[in-house]
Amino acid sequence: MFRGIWRRSSRKRGRSKKAIIITFLLPELILLLTFVLTPIVGTFVISFQTDNGYGPDNYYKVITETSPDKALVLPKNIESLRPPPWGALIHNIVWVLIHLPLVVFLGLALAYLLHEVKGSSIVKTIIFLGMVIPMIVGGLLIRFMYDGTLGVVPLLFKTLGINSLAKTWTNYPQTALISLILGSVWLWTGFSLTVYSAAFESLPKSYIEAAKIDGASGLQIFFKIVIPLLRHATIVVVVMTMLWDLKIFDIVYVSTLGGPGGSSNVMALVMYLYFARALDYGRSAATAVILALITLIPGAWFIKQVVKSGKEKR
Amino acid sequence: MNALTRTGLAILIIVIVILAIGGGYWWYASSQPGKTTTSPSTTSPTTTTQGGGGATTTTSPTTTTAKQVTITVIGPWSGTSAEYFKAVIGNFTAKYPNIKVNYISKRAEDLAKTAPLQFAAGKTPADVIITPWAWWIVEMAKKGYVVDISDMINPNDYIGGIVDKVTYNGKIYGAPFTMWLKPGFWYRKSFFQQHGLSEPKTWDEFLNLLDQIKQINGIQNPIVTGDGVGWPESDIVEHFLITFGGPDLQYKLINCEVKFNDPQVKDIIKNKLVPLIKNGYFSEPIEWTQAVDEWWSGKYALYFMGTWITGRVDDPNDLDFFPLPGAKGVVGGADYGFIPKFTDKMDAAKTFLKFIATEGQMYHVAGPAGKIPTYKKISVDKLWKPMQSVYQKILNLGMEIVPDLDDSVGGDWQTLFWDQLKLLWAEPDQVDQILDTLTQQHPACQSSS
Repeated sequence: MFRGIWRRSSRKRGRSKKAIIITFLLPELILLLTFVLTPIVGTFVISFQTDNGYGPDNYYKVITETSPDKALVLPKNIESLRPPPWGALIHNIVWVLIHLPLVVFLGLALAYLLHEVKGSSIVKTIIFLGMVIPMIVGGLLIRFMYDGTLGVVPLLFKTLGINSLAKTWTNYPQTALISLILGSVWLWTGFSLTVYSAAFESLPKSYIEAAKIDGASGLQIFFKIVIPLLRHATIVVVVMTMLWDLKIFDIVYVSTLGGPGGSSNVMALVMYLYFARALDYGRSAATAVILALITLIPGAWFIKQVVKSGKEKR
Repeated sequence: MNALTRTGLAILIIVIVILAIGGGYWWYASSQPGKTTTSPSTTSPTTTTQGGGGATTTTSPTTTTAKQVTITVIGPWSGTSAEYFKAVIGNFTAKYPNIKVNYISKRAEDLAKTAPLQFAAGKTPADVIITPWAWWIVEMAKKGYVVDISDMINPNDYIGGIVDKVTYNGKIYGAPFTMWLKPGFWYRKSFFQQHGLSEPKTWDEFLNLLDQIKQINGIQNPIVTGDGVGWPESDIVEHFLITFGGPDLQYKLINCEVKFNDPQVKDIIKNKLVPLIKNGYFSEPIEWTQAVDEWWSGKYALYFMGTWITGRVDDPNDLDFFPLPGAKGVVGGADYGFIPKFTDKMDAAKTFLKFIATEGQMYHVAGPAGKIPTYKKISVDKLWKPMQSVYQKILNLGMEIVPDLDDSVGGDWQTLFWDQLKLLWAEPDQVDQILDTLTQQHPACQSSS
């Protein structure tokens, strides 16, 4: 009899626990369903919509497009290693290859140099300003930064007597893409600096002190103790920067609109041009799906790392 | 429940959810007006059916509305340009006190991003929308989102060809408002007097003038190139094509009866324009409003721009222009108003549209907006004084008004055109490749091939 009562009350407890879980989960699930899942599925469905019904035509056309303003890959230019345009996807990859190492290195180096330095917060705040300003404004600033008559960069080269670079960088296919990438380093370094600065604060000092006692040099301490301990911070910086680079749009939109001749075009802009200019929602959605699949690669890797580190902690 | 069953159940739920949303979305999308094949028609309560043929026409707009209504109007003007348009609204509300107008400024590009989705959902962001993109109005009309206003607009009352751009399947969907012209190279009279320069009458005189200007101290380049996202360069190119190929060439290029890589076009671009770019007669593209200041301050002598420049300089009386010698055409473009069929204030919207398409133009051209009327019943003496002399000079030169090339083709080709011309300014040696790209991507050339 006692066993029966216990079973009933335990079942009741289980039911009320489930009710509590559902009550707390339901609002989030509804929001996710409405604002995340529905648009994702909607985009996916539109990406297969064609004039003749449903099919993969949009994907085929987006991938094989050869117009410089919308091509994802322009093979003829890659073969001859000419200046851009190389295609929006290649530009995104170039963006990651240049921007990512610079941001990681600069953030790490600045955080290390400014760590425990008096007044360093002022310097950090100035660097962080790039993160605070809206990207549209950032894009405009980049445009003027490289302007032949007003910009600081051409002026610098003019002063150095390098007249070939004392011009409006965003007007030329050889320099347009690199000018945006370098400009975006300034805008995004504040992020990596902040993450690394926070990570430095949480470093166990005992490890470094022990290394010092054992006679390790500054470089040895940095490379063999500090960097391995900053692994999690580095993962965050790398993944967030890659995602930011892959979905870059605003800076390009206001400073060059992907030009000249498509030389600074990126995938998000291609998606936008299909959507707002060609009024071709099918191809725009197909580009969005391709972009989302590409961003899933670093995203999935990041989640795997987070789960792995969670298991290690346990 | 073991782990395998739990995973299977989770996958099943996800699949069901995706199918449910996808199915729901498909049902929703296929039930929208854009997906139907019916021809556009009005939904106005004042719609009447004439005759037995079932032709749907709309009645003339009412001149008075007893009940106070507020209509929302979206237009492309902001800043001082919006002030000039507000003068038109002021005169409208004085005449129709029962209709209030709420004006919202929105660029054509921004509107094109959001409005089609709102239309697809059966909503409209405004009761009247004004845009310079005639092609976009036609695209929206094709989807059945725009009210047919054929009974309101008599094409004979307007400058030739203007109404054609908003006509689709014989029906008129846009009401022309005022227009701008892109007549040639602007200069300061005082600058020309100071340096003993005069307007060229031949191509050689034009080249000679550029050389003379180049020698003047303080001049960076004889001609300043404006830059937006490339559109100022497109105006220059069009002017060269019209001058050396005639106004007909412009029409043929729009319809792809002549291709961009045609020997005639190549000859004009390669032998007339490219040498000027290569020899530094044109400046690097500079943001076009910044270019106005630099040109006005004497850093450059000439600036190819539209008539709106008259309202952007300190002293419009010191301003004059000349086209390339021999030019018999001038590019002109108008703004157009249209009524989305989803408005619930059809009468008031039509009253407003009719006003801006007729007498309302008078209040716009009377101010320093740098515009001329498209409505022929408004005489030249109603124009703002500096624009009167500009317009008179265009008439005296016998220049035919032709439509803007890239505005007429529209779509994503327009941005490609602008971008490729920016490339031409940076890399003039790539002219063949640029002209091939423009040909391959031209929508009319694609459909004809």
